[in-house]
Amino acid sequence: MKRPLARAGLAAALVVLAGVPWIASPSIVQFGINMLLLAALAQGWNIIGGYTGYASFGNSVFYGLGSYGTAIAMLRWHLPFGIGLALGTVVAVVFAALFGRAILRLRGHYFAICTLGLAEVMTAIVSNLEITGRNTGLVLPLLRGDVLFYELSLALVVVATLIVAWIAHSRFGYGLIAIRENEEAAAAMGVDTTRYKVLAFSLSAAISALAGGIHAYWITFIDPVSAFDIGLNVKMIIVTVFGGPGSILGPVLGAFVLSGISEVLSTEISTVAGLFFGAVIVVAVVFMPRGVADLIRRFDKYRWRYFAENVRANRL
Amino acid sequence: MDPVLSVRHLTKRFAGLTALSDVSFDLGRGEILGLIGPNGAGKTTLVNLISGAFRASEGVLLFEGAPIGALASHRRAKLGIGRTFQIMRPFPGLSVLDNVAVGALFGTGGGHRQLAIARELAHQKLAFVGLAHRADRPAEALGGPDRKRLELAKALAMNPRLLLLDEVMAGLNLAELEAVFTIIRKVRDEGVSVLVIEHVMKAIRSLSDRLLVLHHGEKIAEGEPQQVLSDPTVVEAYLGRRRAPHEGAGT
Repeated sequence: MKRPLARAGLAAALVVLAGVPWIASPSIVQFGINMLLLAALAQGWNIIGGYTGYASFGNSVFYGLGSYGTAIAMLRWHLPFGIGLALGTVVAVVFAALFGRAILRLRGHYFAICTLGLAEVMTAIVSNLEITGRNTGLVLPLLRGDVLFYELSLALVVVATLIVAWIAHSRFGYGLIAIRENEEAAAAMGVDTTRYKVLAFSLSAAISALAGGIHAYWITFIDPVSAFDIGLNVKMIIVTVFGGPGSILGPVLGAFVLSGISEVLSTEISTVAGLFFGAVIVVAVVFMPRGVADLIRRFDKYRWRYFAENVRANRL
Repeated sequence: MDPVLSVRHLTKRFAGLTALSDVSFDLGRGEILGLIGPNGAGKTTLVNLISGAFRASEGVLLFEGAPIGALASHRRAKLGIGRTFQIMRPFPGLSVLDNVAVGALFGTGGGHRQLAIARELAHQKLAFVGLAHRADRPAEALGGPDRKRLELAKALAMNPRLLLLDEVMAGLNLAELEAVFTIIRKVRDEGVSVLVIEHVMKAIRSLSDRLLVLHHGEKIAEGEPQQVLSDPTVVEAYLGRRRAPHEGAGT
């Protein structure tokens, strides 16, 4: 993103995005909030999954902790939303740092499975605590202001993307990429792998928790099953992989494109929407395995050959 | 002169198998020590113990006089120990230049904090090993000999005081060998101590100041290359005992 033209384009896109809620219909604004929160979540997953190479299924846990932290602070302790959001985020980050130290020793499938278990455990715990409202969940105070939530979500996407952009061009980011590409070699070259992985996991957790807190206040209702939904974590992964894991704008592009496709499909052909959505993802993985970001970067050079090259390179 | 690396009674056991047994030696500043031995002699195990990939079962490791046996890999790298891997481990998703930049960003003393400086340094190291023209290629696109050079450049970018080279010369032709020799000698002339594992006997003989021979995890010889290579024990380890004709049948 060194070219001034690209920067100007991004700034223009941002202005347009920020202006949407003042002109668009309420249903479009609501679609926008969901899309932006998904983009932020994907960007958060990108840090641990895309850059560090650890396929986390624990990000929906951080999302849930952010939701519950915010809700409990507002309902039980009557704190303002901002402080509740901060509290929820701190809880998620502390949780990520503590558990990260233990489970980031596991690699590959083992790490994925362990984080998967984390989500189930959290659902069970939260369903049985008085302070979290047990199975019935919590109802937050109502704030009518979709525009506010939209802009808040957009701000989160921008902040998350700036963090990722910094990572991509920093010593920290090079350490993470080295870990992803070859952890043993990274350690031999002087990367403190444990510390870097825990930091990446915590950063990822902070972004997920912020998205969870914003979503909870917007929706005004949370329960254990929806707050710690593994399906949401799977969505983060699909969106990131579709957009381009380990790239700066990929997860955001992925969230925008897939949210759009999914919205059109579910309104036009609601009964078989899921089927078509699945087909889109399969086709994407086969023809552009490095995601939308890579397609945009290299399409100029290869043109339509880009897709053929990918199919050949991966022996599909 | 104080040795850069002192190894005392180093032993490594893997669940019953003793890969390295009671090995001791010193490595001086600016010295090139060749480490040879048949397959399975424990050469790579020794390198892994020094770099911190493995922990020793017994024995002491001193680097510049300080014990390092309990330190994690990255701490040893920070102290100034750089290594290459026998099975080459580039970071395939990064360009050749960025692979080397990782070494400059971390490495001895924690490396350079600024990416721009690190990449500039990486450029110099790539030019030094003759890979500058490949700087922008993805690392996975490099062929065998170039990968060896990349491994070397990555380790050099760490600015190490002790360089552990695990078979950086295997599979190179004569001209490429000469080029790598020149590089290693230049590095040594800057005061870096080098421990080099090699299979190519001619190569190691002319490059090393001293040789250390391992066999079945034990040190069987150490000293001047000529003297070591004519040692009957070493010859036997490599070629096997010449059998008497009547013992030969049925084996």
